[in-house]
Amino acid sequence: MNQRRIPEAKPLFIERMKKLLDDAEFEKYEKILKEQPVRSIRCNTLKISPAELKKKLEGKGWKISQPWPKYPEVIIIESELEPGELGRALEHMLGYYYIQELASMLPVMLLEPKENETVLDLCASPGSKTTQIASSMKNKGTIIANEIALSRIKILASNLERCGVTNVIITKKEGSALCERLKKQNFEFSKILVDAPCSGEGTLRSSMKTYLMWNIKTIKKLPKIQKNLVEFALRILSPGGTLIYSTCTHAPEENEGVISDILDQFKDIKLEKIDLPVKHREGITSWENQVYNSQVKKCARIYPQDNNTEGFFLAKIKKIK
Amino acid sequence: MTLHILSEKEKKEILDELEEQFGILEIPGIVVKRGEERLFLFQGSFTENQIKELDSTVPIERVGIYFAKISEGHIRLSIDGIQILKNQITKNVVEINLEDVEKWMQGSELQITTGKKGYIIIKYKNDFLGTGKASENKITNFIPKNRRLKYKDQ
Repeated sequence: MNQRRIPEAKPLFIERMKKLLDDAEFEKYEKILKEQPVRSIRCNTLKISPAELKKKLEGKGWKISQPWPKYPEVIIIESELEPGELGRALEHMLGYYYIQELASMLPVMLLEPKENETVLDLCASPGSKTTQIASSMKNKGTIIANEIALSRIKILASNLERCGVTNVIITKKEGSALCERLKKQNFEFSKILVDAPCSGEGTLRSSMKTYLMWNIKTIKKLPKIQKNLVEFALRILSPGGTLIYSTCTHAPEENEGVISDILDQFKDIKLEKIDLPVKHREGITSWENQVYNSQVKKCARIYPQDNNTEGFFLAKIKKIK
Repeated sequence: MTLHILSEKEKKEILDELEEQFGILEIPGIVVKRGEERLFLFQGSFTENQIKELDSTVPIERVGIYFAKISEGHIRLSIDGIQILKNQITKNVVEINLEDVEKWMQGSELQITTGKKGYIIIKYKNDFLGTGKASENKITNFIPKNRRLKYKDQ
């Protein structure tokens, strides 16, 4: 079903994935990479209710489903659509929905932002998660959405406008430097999302260029940046506050490796159990001669074959005092 | 960006214009002006003082979202500005038919005689579709390019 031609993965990538998955699982993984990704959207509840949007989309003749009862805003378009049709629809132009991959919705579900909280989205562009945070907060409280690149800020601002997000302030600064400055002025956040820049192994189904761009050097280089972001973000997290670290990659160096070092460094934090509406697996506790802090088991690995999504990694960090 | 948070007096001037044009009686939130004409609306919990303190700490690119533009002494609401204030809009609304919705959202002007002059708000059923400028027998379109409906070959 929905099979398509895909580029050949680099041998080292395959070797690494085979270390993460047993033979049967790897076979399922390879198979799902060849399948078209699911067409998923998230209803923008700042502008319209899921029931109203459902009515509008069904009125267009689209067959839709809502896979997660607890989250009616999550919608899958079951009908075959023409390429780009989702993005060209009037309802999209009016900001009634955001085209967002299912797994990419999970970090904010885990963050559980509430009305009147102060939330930092440290690596915010293109804004899928910022708009989702604003929806959860009903445009109350305040979100600081940070992004380093001006070109990406324009995309972020455009998406925030389309979705009618009015409780946001966009800042432009390298993430750790931003946190350092905020710390000096005693700004604190009850929730922080660090959706870190990563090697993107989890996005192979929707972004074929990842096959070509995959590079072990990038994987070895990124953890330093990722660790820095989490380390500085934790310093401005309120006591009792929650930080979600997420990536769209399977590489342990960028996932459990980062979290393990952070756990060893900070004594006032703990990892929390992850409760999500999808199948997920425990974090791994060792990789290539590295033994990680045993708490990383509480992290969540999401593989494409488990839920017919992209791949993701999540860690929920709580500041104890 | 140079952060210019509108004073109560400045905000009142904008509100007076919006009341005259569309019957809007309240702008709920902090209004920030960017450049000479672009207005942004912030409805978050940060106070003016907190925003100013943040501005002195880190580079701020946007506060809230773009909701209106000052144009020739009048206020032109953006699509999103209209959607935020839609429950207050009581006048100068033009309802169009489904055929015109497509034309309008593609950026075309509409050959319609409305009996109105100046900025009007375009609506189809419950959907607010942006601001136009009505003259004798047409409505000029201000839908920004990135919000226009495109055919698949565009």
